[in-house]
Parts: sequence; structure tokens; C-alpha cells
Amino acid sequence: MLSSFNQTPFLHDVITVGSLILLTIGLVGALTKKNLFKIFLSLAIAEASLFIYFIGMHFEVGKVAPIVTQEVEKFSLNMVDPVPQAMILTTIVIAIAVLSLALSFVINYFKLTNNMRINEMNELGEGK
Amino acid sequence: MINIKKDISIETLVVSLLVSVMTIMLISLFLNFNEVSSSIGTEILLINEASTGTANAVTSVVTYFRGFDTLGEVTILFLSIFGISLGLEGYKDKLNIFAYENQLLKTAVDTLFPLIILFGFYVIIHGHLSPGGGFQGGVIIASAFLLMFLAKNDDFALNHKIMGLIEALSGASFILIGLLGLLIVNRFFDNFLPLGTLGNLFSGGVIPLIYIFVGLKVSAEITALVEYFVRIKDVE
Repeated sequence: MLSSFNQTPFLHDVITVGSLILLTIGLVGALTKKNLFKIFLSLAIAEASLFIYFIGMHFEVGKVAPIVTQEVEKFSLNMVDPVPQAMILTTIVIAIAVLSLALSFVINYFKLTNNMRINEMNELGEGK
Repeated sequence: MINIKKDISIETLVVSLLVSVMTIMLISLFLNFNEVSSSIGTEILLINEASTGTANAVTSVVTYFRGFDTLGEVTILFLSIFGISLGLEGYKDKLNIFAYENQLLKTAVDTLFPLIILFGFYVIIHGHLSPGGGFQGGVIIASAFLLMFLAKNDDFALNHKIMGLIEALSGASFILIGLLGLLIVNRFFDNFLPLGTLGNLFSGGVIPLIYIFVGLKVSAEITALVEYFVRIKDVE
């Protein structure tokens, strides 16, 4: 019975729905939270959903990681595509760089104004 | 307390659900995840052993086939840390925010710190043989320094001359390897060293060297990043 779940299309559907839910959680957080810190962390969660989607959709049942070990003795087409994993590695590093830069801006903003809530920001003089 | 009805309106929920559905559908349309008989990935898997001699195909994609892209990635990380250091200046006069005394952590960190550093270097050096590599090992080394900041709070400070020297020299060596490949073999980041046997520690030509320099650079940068974020409390 369990083997019917261990099929590539079913797993791809699970990954699609899961990353959809995670992306929705991130977007809801970014839209509803009033704290700048939480907004950026919500965006990081939304990014993580895309990483999971991209890696997960290139997984196929029966294929192994593209690494030669003692069990897998040579490179063959029975391995998953290495290019998406390398691209997501690049993306994760860039996401960390952008997130840390954004959080440093948040810290600087808090030091200048003693405020981190977006509904109390009034630097551009837009009034209440 | 979280008041779900007040905080999350139904419009927000609908909008974010629609945006997520559209995003996922757009990506799946663009990428077209059908099983194809030949793609860049299968080509790389077929030529990987002959052209790079590394046991890990992801590493050879990151450092060899897309080495120029990795250079850009490291540059983006460097620019981000540079921007943070411009914004959070004067951190040398600031105090650590983890200002609590924990004797258990203080005793344990003396044992754990060398072990975590060793594990980080293991992950970096074996990047061409096993899962892991420069970025992952660099972050592991930075986590050891975060543990030091947690445990020893103000007693522990980094030597910024050595950190800057490591970062600058490893970044310069990374580009130097690329330039040597350009001069000797006529392609940026090409192999000019013998490939060795697949699966040995000394194999893969320049790929372990590139990943070691990337790992040193990333560890120095993330450690500096951790210190910028930890040392933000003003002296009273």
C-alpha cells in the first residue's frame, strides 16, 4: 500500500502543495505583521518555499544523489540532475546576503527612530 | 496574544493564496518539469569524470562549470557584509547582547569549539568527495564563533587584522587560480593540475583548492557578520 505513495507524480504533488502552503504562510506574514523584523523573516520563509519546490521537483523516485560513493561506483543517468542543486546553493547564499543586509537596515532604523512598527513610521511626513 | 480574526483579514489570505498559486504555476510552466532524455544535467553527469575528476557532481558544477558564477556569488556576499559594516559602524565600542553568565556553556565551549572548527574544515576539504563544500563548511565554522560569542560574551573578541587578512588573501587566491587557468589552459577556472584518481582526497585538480579558498572566505565573512549583529548594545 505504501508503494503507491512512493511514486514520482504523487511526491511532486505533495511538494507542490507543501511549497504552496509555505509560500502562503510567508506572504500572509509579510502582509499582516507590523514589525519590520518579522516582515523580513516572513519573506525568508517565502523564499525557502521556492527552494523546496525547485529541489523537490527535480527529485525522481529511484534516482540517487550525484555523488560517487562506495555503493554508487560511477556516474550514470541514474542520478538526479546536479544543476538545480548547484543553482539553489547559489540562491541560498544570495538570500542570506540580502536578508542580513535588510536586517542591518532594520537595526539602524531602530537605532535612529526607536521604532520598528510600520504603522507608526512617519519619516516622509504622510500624516496619520 | 494573537487575535487571528483581527490580525489576518480575509482579503490578505485570499491575496496571498492567489499570489502563491500564480507563482508556483508560473514557475512550473517556465521550467516544464517533464522527464527529458537529455539536458545540461545529464550532459554534465556524462562528462564529469573525464573533465573534472571529482566524485561530487554538484561541486564540479559549482566550482568548475559555473565557477564564474560562484565568483559573483562570493562578491555579492562580500558586498553585503561591506554594506552591513558601513551601517553598523563603531561596533568595537559596543557590548555583546548576550550578557548572561552560564557556567555550563562556558565550560562546554572549550571542548566544543575546536571540534566544530575541525568539523567545518573537514566539510570544506572533502567538498569534492561528499555532500558539503566551501559554503556549508564556512557556515559551520562561523557557528563555532557564534557559540563563543554566546558563551564568553565580552571576554571574546576577534582579531580583525587576521580576519581581514584571511578574507583578502583567500579571495585573491580564488581569483588567482582563475587567472592561472586562463593563462595556462585558456579558460577562466580551468584545470591546470593533474586530475588524480576519482574518490581520493588529492583529486579533482583545482576544484578542492577553489573550495578551500571559498570556504575560508565565507567563514571569515559570516564570522564578521555574526560579530556585527552580536555587538550592538551601547555602553551605559
